Amino acid sequence: MTPSTGGPAMENQNPTLYKRAADREITPAELDNNVVDPFDAREIFDLIRNINDPEHPLSLEELNVVEERLCLVNDQQNTIDVTFTPTIPHCSMATLIGLCIRVKLLHALPPRFKVTVKISPGAHVSEAAINKQLADKERVAAALENSHLIKVINECIFAAPPTFSKIIRN
Amino acid sequence: MSSEPQAVPTLKFVQVLKGHRGRAWNVSWHPQGNLLTSCGEDKIIRLWGTEGGAEGKWVEKTTLTDGHERTIREVSWSPCGKYLASSSFDATTAIWDKKSGEYECNATLEGHENEVKSVAWARSGQVLATCSRDKTVWVWEVAEEDEYECAAVLNAHTQDVKKVVWHPNDEILASASYDNTIKMFREDPSDQEWTCVATLASHTSTVWSIAFNKTGTRLASCSDDGTLKIWQVYLPGNQEGISTPDGQPVWKCVSTISGVHTRSVYDVAWCHQTGLIATACGDDIVRIFQETLDSDPNQPTFNLVASSVASHGHTQDVNSVAWHPTVPGLLASASDDGDIRLWQFLDSS
Amino acid sequence: MTAGFSGVLQLTDLDDFITPSQECIKPVVVEKIKSVTGSKIKIQDDGSYVAVTEGGQAQKLQRVDISLNDCLACSGCITSAESVLITQQSQEEMLKVFKANEQLKEAGKESELKLIVVSVAVQPVLSLAVRYELEPQDAFRRLSGYFKSVGADIVLDMTLSEDLSLLECENEFMERFRSKSDGSKPHLPMLTSSCPGWVCYAEKTHGSFVLPYISTTKSPQQIQGTLVKQFLPTIQGHHPGKIYHVSVEPCYDKKLEASRSDFHNEAEDIKDVDCVITSVELEQMFKSQDLRLSEIPPADVDFPWLDGLNCSEQISYKGTLVGHQGTGSGGYADHVMASAAQELFGDSNAELKFKVLRNPDMREATLEKDGKVVLRFAIANGFRNIQNLMQKLKRGKCAYDFVEIMACPSGCLNGGAQVRPEEGTQQKELTSTLEKLYSELPLHSPKLNPLVHEIYTNWLGGAGSDKSSANLHTSYHAVEKMSTALNIKW
Repeated sequence: MTPSTGGPAMENQNPTLYKRAADREITPAELDNNVVDPFDAREIFDLIRNINDPEHPLSLEELNVVEERLCLVNDQQNTIDVTFTPTIPHCSMATLIGLCIRVKLLHALPPRFKVTVKISPGAHVSEAAINKQLADKERVAAALENSHLIKVINECIFAAPPTFSKIIRN
Repeated sequence: MSSEPQAVPTLKFVQVLKGHRGRAWNVSWHPQGNLLTSCGEDKIIRLWGTEGGAEGKWVEKTTLTDGHERTIREVSWSPCGKYLASSSFDATTAIWDKKSGEYECNATLEGHENEVKSVAWARSGQVLATCSRDKTVWVWEVAEEDEYECAAVLNAHTQDVKKVVWHPNDEILASASYDNTIKMFREDPSDQEWTCVATLASHTSTVWSIAFNKTGTRLASCSDDGTLKIWQVYLPGNQEGISTPDGQPVWKCVSTISGVHTRSVYDVAWCHQTGLIATACGDDIVRIFQETLDSDPNQPTFNLVASSVASHGHTQDVNSVAWHPTVPGLLASASDDGDIRLWQFLDSS
Repeated sequence: MTAGFSGVLQLTDLDDFITPSQECIKPVVVEKIKSVTGSKIKIQDDGSYVAVTEGGQAQKLQRVDISLNDCLACSGCITSAESVLITQQSQEEMLKVFKANEQLKEAGKESELKLIVVSVAVQPVLSLAVRYELEPQDAFRRLSGYFKSVGADIVLDMTLSEDLSLLECENEFMERFRSKSDGSKPHLPMLTSSCPGWVCYAEKTHGSFVLPYISTTKSPQQIQGTLVKQFLPTIQGHHPGKIYHVSVEPCYDKKLEASRSDFHNEAEDIKDVDCVITSVELEQMFKSQDLRLSEIPPADVDFPWLDGLNCSEQISYKGTLVGHQGTGSGGYADHVMASAAQELFGDSNAELKFKVLRNPDMREATLEKDGKVVLRFAIANGFRNIQNLMQKLKRGKCAYDFVEIMACPSGCLNGGAQVRPEEGTQQKELTSTLEKLYSELPLHSPKLNPLVHEIYTNWLGGAGSDKSSANLHTSYHAVEKMSTALNIKW
């Protein structure tokens, strides 16, 4: 059962916050248009770190839901594997968060990439079911045609990068 | 590359058909083979035909629009070739015909709660089946002109149902599901009740598609688990001594082809002329399998004999494959890259 | 737990795989208490949730309860989760009330005692009669004996409520049909309302479009509820709040019906039917107590109605099981059609035969006058036939005047919570046995029941009075599709 405390009906009201990573350092080679630079983990992480949690005014990075070390890229093989960690093991938002990550990567990456989004092993009670649903491209495609759902996803994806001034911590 | 190109079978690229915007989900041939139909994310059904005779190039002939509000997932021709059914994520199935001279949607089958994933006509043309994420399989009967009545709502599956196909000769319906199983249904003649008569369990993830062989004695299935499986029916009193409880035919998995596909296998097509099996895979490749000559009927061996890897392949997931009904070895495929491609299988002979 | 529901609910709304904690989309109303910052939620060994503040104080968190009525008002699933059903509508709950009453009796606390009333529908009696190889009247008396042995004060048949339901349905139809001639466009076909599975499906799936077609007449269960909680007190002198009313029914859907807010007086917290128990649950109860119905000593079925009405006539069916003309689901189509043929077209000998259409669960009867069809009635059972009917209605191609609709194939005799066939018996065979038993019951006509007239005159202030419509009719509510995207299933 959903536990209830005060305030809005939220499952994890007081999540632990994590420090944001420093901005990526841009190397001279990257600025050089003549050099083809392959995608790396940091780039993938940068794409998804600012996705907002559907329930909190916090980014997935600040909640430690996504981490750079859990973004695996094989540019040669065209594969990207992202693993994410819901804040609590029975988080009902886990599927939606996974969908947001998938959609963000779908929008931002060249179509040659095969993207896999999964839950960190043992991080959720319905891990297998959620992974299966996120891997089903037909279900994802249909979900993206649901106007109610896409509205929420867009709010999460296109939210301005949160800053600490926005977050009031007592 | 072989030094003797004629000595090995090949899948020769014939032509690419461009037109769809966004993902192309499905291709389907008209039963006479003169029309190819495709559909996808752009909510448009495209009809392709040849320019000047059978040998000519394939070009877009007509588009059917405004039938659906969301992605069109599958298109299927009635055996008589007069009706085209299209199933959509908008929860409806549309029936199109050309009675007025142009293709028009003259009936809509409503009732599914959400996305309709597949639609198929039975051989008689009097019955069709649809399936949906709502976990149900529906059987519809043609009641009268442009009137379709629901004859059964089958809720045997516990998850999303991905595909329905009919047995080539008998009124037996097979369905494949996200619940990892394939089920078969038939009507009890005593009370016109459709019931589940077999459950085929062996895949370890979503079964995306299924296809019967020409005689309906075998079924090929493909899955998110990356395998292709061949199932064989054993009738009551079979020579092999396979027990058939309740006098119902039993389907056994007689072959599993694994380690070939590197991602989800989204579609399978069994050619009723050549016996070849084609698969559509999430690794962008179309593959062709052939049963070996010395194959044991109860433990058949299927070999990968050709694929689209060599040239002009799709650049994204392949979603659908369909063998031409009369030209042996002619194959169409549809992909996430939006293209429809035509291929010709060339045997070594 | 799901098996007892009708197929319709299982197909469209009932989700066997979820528990409320996992996927229930019903937004939970949370009491505003001072937000404790910095606290962590921990799961205890017993599964309860505890908030631990930064200071180390632990506060046990409340569980959120989802009731069946919440499920009815929600566009999501109807959960079959045991935890939901168990709260109000279970054998355990019923026996708990029985036991509590027993203890009050022993303690001599007469004033706190409840009057326990059990109303028994005909279909579960037949189901149990077949299960325990008893003659139906005998099974009924033994069932009465069982309930009395565990603490029931009164055991009732439901004939009076069935009669009232049929007659109100008939009046409603006549009114709608007659209004055709004065130019207004009445909602025809009139669709019956006694099957709660069908009503629930209509409210959730077809909403405001179909609801005006549905008869506003309460089902026999809910009319019985009104009689027990409103009329019975005038005889027995009990306050309605002191009556615990159990209804024995062939289907779990009836539990949902009893939970509807329309049948719940919130101010006094009085429900017309407190608990619904079904045939399968009774079979389980007997089994768990190592009982066979055939070994339970019989007892009379009560008939308290006469005391409240100065009825001098003999009630022939008193204390026995009777059947109505037509289907084992109450015979709505037969009754209304025969009455309509007579009243509207003066045809008292019309031979009304419902002939099978596409399948045995779709039947039709017509009345012709001068070669023209003047009345077209149908009986539609099971989801596929309901579905086809809805599609025809939407396309304006439904030519019927009246349709008796039941969610279960073969109707209520084959209700979702009837006793399952024994090993080696087909469901079909069992259903035809039950249909045969029903047709062999003494035939009863609502119009010839003197008690009905007494109820109308002495209690309801006449047929068609405000009191009649308040007590014998109800209303339906379209369920809005939920659009809070956070919980959309995809």
